Amino acid sequence: MWLPSTRFATSLLLAAAMVAGAASARAHEGHDHGAPPPPTSSTIAPRADASSADLELVAIARGDKLEIYLDTFRGNEPIDGAEIEIDGPGGILKPIAAGAGFYTVVAPFAAKPGSHDLAITIPANGVVDVLTTTLKVSPSTQPQAVATPRQSWGIDPAFAQELGQRVGQPGTSLLISLGLGFIAGVAVTALVLGRRRAAAGLILLALIPLATPTGVLADSAPGISSPGVAARDVSQRFPDGALFVPKPTQRILGLRTIFTEQRAHRRAIELPGRVIPDPNASGLVQAAVGGRLLPPPGGFKPLGTPVKTGDVLAYVNPPISSADLTTQQQQARELDQQISVASRKFERLRAIEKVIARGQLEDAELELKGLHERRANLARANKEPEPLMAPVDGIIAASNAVAGQMAEPNSIIFQIIDPARLWVEALSFEPQSTNGMAQGLFAGGKSIELAYVGTGLADRNQSVPVHFAIRSDTAGLRAGQFMTVLATTANDRTGIALPREAVLRGPNGQSIVYEHSNAERFVPREVRIEQLDAERVLIVAGIEPGKRVVTTGAELLNQIR
Amino acid sequence: MNRARLAMLSLAAAIVAAPAAFAHEAAKGKNGGLRVDAGKYHAELVVDGTPTVAVFLSDEDDKPIPAAGFKANAILVIDGKSQRFDLVPAEGSKLTGTAPAAVKPGAKGAIQITAPDGLTAQAKY
Repeated sequence: MWLPSTRFATSLLLAAAMVAGAASARAHEGHDHGAPPPPTSSTIAPRADASSADLELVAIARGDKLEIYLDTFRGNEPIDGAEIEIDGPGGILKPIAAGAGFYTVVAPFAAKPGSHDLAITIPANGVVDVLTTTLKVSPSTQPQAVATPRQSWGIDPAFAQELGQRVGQPGTSLLISLGLGFIAGVAVTALVLGRRRAAAGLILLALIPLATPTGVLADSAPGISSPGVAARDVSQRFPDGALFVPKPTQRILGLRTIFTEQRAHRRAIELPGRVIPDPNASGLVQAAVGGRLLPPPGGFKPLGTPVKTGDVLAYVNPPISSADLTTQQQQARELDQQISVASRKFERLRAIEKVIARGQLEDAELELKGLHERRANLARANKEPEPLMAPVDGIIAASNAVAGQMAEPNSIIFQIIDPARLWVEALSFEPQSTNGMAQGLFAGGKSIELAYVGTGLADRNQSVPVHFAIRSDTAGLRAGQFMTVLATTANDRTGIALPREAVLRGPNGQSIVYEHSNAERFVPREVRIEQLDAERVLIVAGIEPGKRVVTTGAELLNQIR
Repeated sequence: MNRARLAMLSLAAAIVAAPAAFAHEAAKGKNGGLRVDAGKYHAELVVDGTPTVAVFLSDEDDKPIPAAGFKANAILVIDGKSQRFDLVPAEGSKLTGTAPAAVKPGAKGAIQITAPDGLTAQAKY
């Protein structure tokens, strides 16, 4: 009973070994290590690229001229003023600058077919780098835009080209290897179990694709890319979605990349918020009594005028109804009457000052004085309006003042806000522990720095208000503006942070980023993102650290068909 | 039974060893230098802190190739400057040359090799 199962295990192991072996063998084939093959196209000039940890270089042969594009490896920024030296077949060449990060030199070998080894010495940014590359110029040097591909042993060239590209893809090659390995494994299993005929057939089946198409494809590659002296290269999209974008086009699109790094980032939560004035730096001007509004000397201050605490902004003149007026007049007469009685009494008492108690005279004097004051107040009450004063320093943010208008009691006449001191009120639907830092993101993409002030506990629309003070420049902000508040939480998330502009929506609706895989090749990568803060997102799956991802110009790249 | 076990063990060993055998990029060479691919050859650069520089040629299977008939020139970054000098065949698979200054191990640069048949190859370090 044990033996058959051992046999089965052995065959399984064998199959696994074949799979592993096949994959490794494919990876090693052609003595090529690392870089995927350069894009093949019928309309592009012969080109070679090389890169180091700091530099990326593309050499394009155009006739007998060699054009060199030099950029930084990580950022794809053109490098100016580099004194490049090229050790080529014709000796040492020294290209001269002909634009931003663009150098050109006459190189007779560039027009000759064959493969030319170039060693390029680049002193840039204080370091010297030596790059090596091979420029392959195919035999047809006729200046024709689209060369007719050579028939490659009865295989349709278009199909061969597509297949060639697919085989060139690391992922596809692995798949093919796995597939072949699987067939081989089945064959060996059959062999071990004693079904020799079936096994022989299967082995043949596995060997056929290994032997023939590889040879054909290796041969068909140069036949397809038979470029002439193309005046300009055009970017194009391959069936697998990858893009070939020539360096000159990259310069026009202003493509920049970022080098991905895995780091711990503070995660942010999104809260809806709006700008409110700082309660300590804003105020309302209200009329305490109803009345007619009157302008101060110089008129009402227009909107936006800076005011200081105590500045009179308006007067309220309370109106007197006819009934009140009658009562007042009555009071005035009564007072007048009382005053004349009291003054008579006072005069009389003063005349007999010597025989009466001193207290009597003083009482009469005080009574008369009090009556005079009440009469004066009554007279003044009719004339003096109530001044409305600014309660804080700031600017006039809202004004409802119209001369002669009847103001209701408690109506808001002016609103005063200090524009440099604004807060944000966000609504949080669950208690969050923020670490104090937050960012506000407006619909237009502008972002502001916020600092946590406090959280309320009173329920408002099933949420609690959270207040933040705006730290950054408040120019252009107004009270009531809506925004998304991204408050950083206390717990960390690990991932790759990318600017928001790097993440695009693919044709199928998935989030993608463009990886700058080779000097002139960009590969779309599906990613899963999480919100990080106002300007960045966190890539949690889909791309590894140490890759170059397009940031600026990614949207333009996505439009290439 | 034992044979089956042996087969299993050897296969397991093969699986473990297989990837290691292929990942040989910029590996340490037999002569203690840095061995990289140069076209269809492997070239091993040996520097020892003196101006003398040696390059050992071997084929894809790391079998030494006689250096006679080969020509080579080196471009090495020495003390922040790029220096060019020729390499001439010496005994066996060795090409040697003398740099204008002492070359520290780990120096960056490139070697351009011209085979007797006129084909060229490059090695980058």
